[in-house]
Amino acid sequence: MSLRPATYGLMGEFRTTAEAAAVARELRAAGFTRWDVYGPAPLEEIEHATPTRRGILITAIMFAAAIVGACWGYFLQYWDAVIDFPINVGGRPLDGWPGFVPSAWEICALFTVYGGFLAFLITCRLPRLHHPLFAAPHFERATQDRFFVCVEAADAQYEAARVGEIFTRHGVIETSEVPA
Amino acid sequence: MPERAAELGYEGPVIGPEQDFSSVSTTLSDLVLERPTPRWWYIGAAISAAGFLLFVIACLWTFVGGVGVWGVNIPVAWGFALANYVWWIGIASGGTFISSLFYLVGSDWRNGVNRTAETMTLLAAAAAGMMPILHLGRQGLFYWLFPYSTVMGIWPQFLSPLLWDFFALLCYVLTSIVFWYIGLVPDCATLRDRATKRWQQIFYGILALGWRGSARDWHSYKSAYLIMAGIMAPMVVSVHSIVGLDFAAGLIAGWHSTQWPPYFFIGALYSGWAVVLALMIPLRWFYSLERIITERHLDVIAKLMLATGLMLAYCYLLEAMEPFYTGDATKATEYLASAFGHYGATFWARNTLNIFVPQLLWLPVIRRNKLALELISIGIVAGMWIERYNFVVSALAQDYVPSKWGWFGGTFWDWSILIGSAGMVMFGFFAFIRLLPVVSMFEIREIIHKRRGRGATGGARQ
Repeated sequence: MSLRPATYGLMGEFRTTAEAAAVARELRAAGFTRWDVYGPAPLEEIEHATPTRRGILITAIMFAAAIVGACWGYFLQYWDAVIDFPINVGGRPLDGWPGFVPSAWEICALFTVYGGFLAFLITCRLPRLHHPLFAAPHFERATQDRFFVCVEAADAQYEAARVGEIFTRHGVIETSEVPA
Repeated sequence: MPERAAELGYEGPVIGPEQDFSSVSTTLSDLVLERPTPRWWYIGAAISAAGFLLFVIACLWTFVGGVGVWGVNIPVAWGFALANYVWWIGIASGGTFISSLFYLVGSDWRNGVNRTAETMTLLAAAAAGMMPILHLGRQGLFYWLFPYSTVMGIWPQFLSPLLWDFFALLCYVLTSIVFWYIGLVPDCATLRDRATKRWQQIFYGILALGWRGSARDWHSYKSAYLIMAGIMAPMVVSVHSIVGLDFAAGLIAGWHSTQWPPYFFIGALYSGWAVVLALMIPLRWFYSLERIITERHLDVIAKLMLATGLMLAYCYLLEAMEPFYTGDATKATEYLASAFGHYGATFWARNTLNIFVPQLLWLPVIRRNKLALELISIGIVAGMWIERYNFVVSALAQDYVPSKWGWFGGTFWDWSILIGSAGMVMFGFFAFIRLLPVVSMFEIREIIHKRRGRGATGGARQ
C-alpha cells in the first residue's frame, strides 16, 4: 500500500440500522480502526458498535470552559470593586460576593455553551464543506434514510476484497470505491 | 387521512405510525425546497412586514425625539418599554424551557415542537433586547453597559440587578443562537442533500458546515447538546429571576418584595407555552403536518398551560396576601389601587385571561378543540402583557406620597413599538418557516426508531 492511496476507501450502503450495526461490530472485532458509520440520526445501536472517546473530551472541554468563564466573570467584578475602583459605602465589604454571583454564572453559562460548540466543531473537524465521501454514489441518502459504512484505505488492515466480503455478508445494497 | 385521525388522538402516539425516515425527510424538506410559496404565506408575511416597518419607524422616531415621544413621565417613568421587555423575555424563556428541560427528562413529544419553540425564543429575545436600549434615552451610549473600564474610565455598578440583567440577556441571546443553530446543522445537511437548485445547495451546504452524519460525529453532537441543554435550563430560570429582581430591588412599594423571581418565571413559562401553542396550531394546519405535530402535542402543551396557570394563580394569591400580612399600609394601598383604582380594568383583565378562562382546559373537549385552544392561548399571551403592564405602571402611579401620584397612558408611539415588535417577531417567524425545516427531522427519526424497535428502521423508498 502506497503512502498516498488513490482511493479514500470502500463504501457500503445498507438499508437498516441492524445491518449497519452488524458491519460495525464485525469491523471492530476484526481490528479495523479507520472506519465509520454514516446515518440520518443518532441511534444507540450504531453508537454502541462504534468506539469513540469524544464524549469524555467534549465534557472535559466544556467543564474547562465553565471554570474559565466563572473565574473570568467573577474576576471582572472583583477587579473593579476591590482593586481598580474601591468605594467604601457605609463600611460594607468591597468584595460583595453574593452580588457578583449572578453575572459570573451567566458568563459561565455563555462560556460553557460556546465551549461545547467549539468542541463539537473540533472533534467533528467541521466546518469542512467538501469531503471525498460526498462523491460516493447515493451518499446524499446518508442524511435521509440510508446507512453507509466506509472503511478508509489508510487503515493498516485495509484490503478491498476483504472489506467487500464483510459488506456482502451483511446484505449490502451497493459497494463502491470512493476516490480520494 | 381522516380514517386514521383517531389513533393520533390526544392519547395517541407522538408521530403517525406510518411515518418512516424517508417520509419525514421528504415531507419536511419539501415544504422548504419544493413546495411553491403558498398564498397565506405572502399575506401573513406582508402583514408582519408592515408591523416590522412600523417598529423601525417608531424606533427611529424615538431616537430622534427621545423617550419624550412616549407617554412616560414622572412619576410613571417606566411604561410600555419595560412591560414589553419583561413580556418578550418571558415568551423567550418558555421556548428554551421546552427545548432544554424536556430534552433532559427525555419527553418524546418535545422533538416535534422544539424547533418552533427555539426559533420563537430567538426572535422574542431579540425583541426583548431592543426594549432596554430604546428606553435608555441616549441610545447611542448603550455600550456603556459593557465593562471595559480602561477605555471608558467608568465602571458599571456590578451589584445592581439592572446590570445582572444586562449580562443575563446578553449571555442568553448569545447562547440561544448556538443552541438553536447546532440543532439545525444535521437538518441543513438533509436539505443540502435533497436540494435541486444551485442556490439551495450552496445556502444549505454552508449552513450544514459539511455535516456527514458519521456515528462518531453524532456522538460529539449528542455529548455537546446534552450538556448545553443542562446549562440552558437553569440559565433560563436565572435570566427571568433576575428580571424579577430588577423590581424586587426597587424601592417602589408595589415592587419591593422578594416574591417576584418565581412569580415572573412562572408567568414567563406560561406565556411561552401559550405562544408555542398559538403558533403550532395554524402551522400544522397550513402545512398539513397533522401526522408529525399530532393532537398529542397540543394536548400536552395545553395541560402544561393549565398546570402553569394554577401555579400563577397561587402567585397572584400570594401577591394579594403579602401587603395585608405584612401590615404595610402603603403596600396595601398600592395593591388595592392596582385592583380597583385607575388601572383596575387591567388587573381584572389579567385575572380573566390568565386564570379564569384557562380553567376551561380541564375539559378534554376544549383541549381537543383547536379553535378554543388557539383563542385561549392568544388570550394568555395578551393577558400576560396586561399583567406586566399593570405591574409596572400601577406601582409607579401610586407610590408613597399622594402628592406624587400620576397617571400614564400609552401614546401612538408606545403602541407602535409594542405592535411593531410583534410584527418583527412574526416576520422573522415567516422567514423561518419558508427557509428552514419547521420540525427537527433527525429528532423525529430518533422517535420513529424508538417506536419501531431496534434494527427495523430505514428507508422504504428505493
